[in-house]
Amino acid sequence: MPFFRKKRLFIILIGFIILVALIGFSLGDRKNLSTPEQFIKDTVGWAQSVIHTPVKFVANIFTNIDDLKNTYDENQLLKEKLSQYKGLIYEVQEIKEENEQLRKTLDKTESIRDFNPIQATVMSRTPERWVEQITINKGEQDGLKTNMAVITADGMIGKVQTTSEFTSTVQLLTGFDQFNRISATISRKKGKDIFGMIEEFDEETNSLLFKIIEESDKDLKKGELVVSSGMGGVFPAGLLIGTVKEVIPDKYGLTRTALVKPAADMYEINNVIVVDRTLTEDKPEDQGDKE
Amino acid sequence: MKRLYLPLILFLFVILEGVSLELLPPKLVMSDLLIIPHWVLIFLVFVSIFYDKEQTYYSVLYGVIFGLLLDIVYTGVLGVYMFTYAIVIYIIHGLKKLLHANIHVTLLLGLIAITVADLLIYLIFFVIGLTEMSGEEYLFYRIIPTVLANLLFLLVLYPFLRKRLVKWSDEQLTNN
Repeated sequence: MPFFRKKRLFIILIGFIILVALIGFSLGDRKNLSTPEQFIKDTVGWAQSVIHTPVKFVANIFTNIDDLKNTYDENQLLKEKLSQYKGLIYEVQEIKEENEQLRKTLDKTESIRDFNPIQATVMSRTPERWVEQITINKGEQDGLKTNMAVITADGMIGKVQTTSEFTSTVQLLTGFDQFNRISATISRKKGKDIFGMIEEFDEETNSLLFKIIEESDKDLKKGELVVSSGMGGVFPAGLLIGTVKEVIPDKYGLTRTALVKPAADMYEINNVIVVDRTLTEDKPEDQGDKE
Repeated sequence: MKRLYLPLILFLFVILEGVSLELLPPKLVMSDLLIIPHWVLIFLVFVSIFYDKEQTYYSVLYGVIFGLLLDIVYTGVLGVYMFTYAIVIYIIHGLKKLLHANIHVTLLLGLIAITVADLLIYLIFFVIGLTEMSGEEYLFYRIIPTVLANLLFLLVLYPFLRKRLVKWSDEQLTNN
């Protein structure tokens, strides 16, 4: 019996050592997943795509019933908004055309606003709520790379964290920490744009922290739109991130922090667009060499 | 062929956990409450109580394999669920020798399993800095709703699984 006890203790100790080693390995600085992990993720991803459709169907029946109740009110509201948009669409088209012409005359056709959209479907969401991730059905084969921005029609929802051949994992904005910063801006007239960084997601206030750099105008209003600035080099410019909810001074009173409410719904995500920025980091350097 | 049933069901639960949040009403998901499905663990508790003999440790082995699978697919931090599920199922395996298997005992063991497992996961995640939730918040917002929801799931599964697992267990004996 004492021998058995010793053996049991021994196994638990070995298990603990393996645990620490594995955690160390996975939290360490690694660019992408190891091959066995990719293989398992793709296999499970395939099975998920089979299961996903019927489950979704059942879940949709309930949401549909819920939606029906509000349809009338929503319809009224949407009709009002639609009439406002008609004018806007015309205006936007005009401005777009003008912009294109001006760019042509300037000989500058690429901009940090341009991107190739890659459509993807969400297959699963991590059940562990502290890890805010979703899995989508596009991978390296479709041209996805790590750190690409992921958006829905409403706005930005996160970035690609890891990729495998046929699936990839997306880190949601709600799970951002200080290692995933987005350089963002609030657009103003006459070059008085406000620049700063989206630094992390604050659980208490349920909003993103937008740290404004000192030189910028500090006079913020509630409801202003925060968009990505494209200065970080990875995300294109002009992706909608959220709206300003409140402005608070930071700990030392030197800078101001805006609480930003994400524009996209982080819970009902079905179809996403992965944003592949056309203008990559290397190109400006190349141009620099030529000059 | 029958030996494949258990891993297949476990694999199905791993996949279903990924869509579990969609099955809950959106209001519940958007609230502060964190409800985490531990369906794989609950099935392993059943396996441990009704399928495993005193000398066999299938449930612990499956705990290691499918815990690792959950880690790879859903969290990216390897080893957390693997270690937790294995050790919790090992404890359950030890406890079931002392008690007679019926619905009350299953509920009790399920309660112990979910509570200990979630606490261990919280501890590990807290140490490596994946969560900054304080103990009090954790108690109210996460562990109580999680345990209740999972026990409900256990009650739903009980009538389906009990007889089948005992039958498979007997067949496992005659085969050997």
